[in-house]
Amino acid sequence: MLSQIIGQTKEHPALIPFFLFIGAGGTGAAMYVLHLALFNPDISWDRKNNPEFWNKLGPNDQYKFYLVNVDYSKLKKGGPDF
Amino acid sequence: MAYPFQLGLQDATSPIMEELLHFHDHTLMIVFLISSLILYIISLMLTTKLTHTSTMDAQEVETVWTILPAIILILIALPSLRILYMMDEINNPSLTVKTMGHQWYWSYEYTDYEDLNFDSYMIPTQELKPGELRLLEVDNRVVLPMEMTIRMLISSEDVLHSWAVPSLGLKTDAIPGRLNQTTLMAMRPGLYYGQCSEICGSNHSFMPIVLEMVPLSYFETWSALMV
Repeated sequence: MLSQIIGQTKEHPALIPFFLFIGAGGTGAAMYVLHLALFNPDISWDRKNNPEFWNKLGPNDQYKFYLVNVDYSKLKKGGPDF
Repeated sequence: MAYPFQLGLQDATSPIMEELLHFHDHTLMIVFLISSLILYIISLMLTTKLTHTSTMDAQEVETVWTILPAIILILIALPSLRILYMMDEINNPSLTVKTMGHQWYWSYEYTDYEDLNFDSYMIPTQELKPGELRLLEVDNRVVLPMEMTIRMLISSEDVLHSWAVPSLGLKTDAIPGRLNQTTLMAMRPGLYYGQCSEICGSNHSFMPIVLEMVPLSYFETWSALMV
């Protein structure tokens, strides 16, 4: 498929930015899904050794992809320990 | 509240709504610019005597009209995602209020310090006093302290409803069997109106929400009176 793309861009060089943006967008989407699969606390890969990872979250863990205003190192835990 | 012939969004009462207002201005400006450019180009196309019957390709203009829209879309997406993540932030609410949607009224529970429960029905049009707003006033308003972060827990006792207050940028569905959470922070005192935003039967248009944001001391007096 890559040879098709290169062939098409040789004939129509205006396609180069198009393929760049599509490639970057697709890569970004795939990487975000991978980030969610690996780091989202809702997902458990290893049920034997690390089940219920969502029960072990501390108040200082960052599990959202991007933070605007929140400084996680300063947060305290609201509920009791169990 | 909304006023007649209103064209834009209501004035912002919470920081998130202010961000949304500015984002809306930014995006709408881009939309107007693109639309007027296209209208101008169409008018040019329709009023020219020039013709060119042998156009085969146009590499340069194609490059421009691929890169420029991509940049514009990125300029829209980045502020949008920033506001999206900002809406989800942890912010240590000082008060929790629960609201349950019913057919066709809202009920509110303030159970942090005492046991305060009440229902909020719309005032029928025949019983409105002069100066009150038709289809928007309720008998018991939701009194809340201003300038404090408040956690709203929203659910429903029967069918789908949606608890919405446009001035604060809030709209959260009330789903039976599910608890939804949203945070509320009003920067100034006043009355803020909203209406049920999910079709729920014959009186769906007649179950409004009125928030009365007051200073904390007034709120404490009110809640002591209402218990």
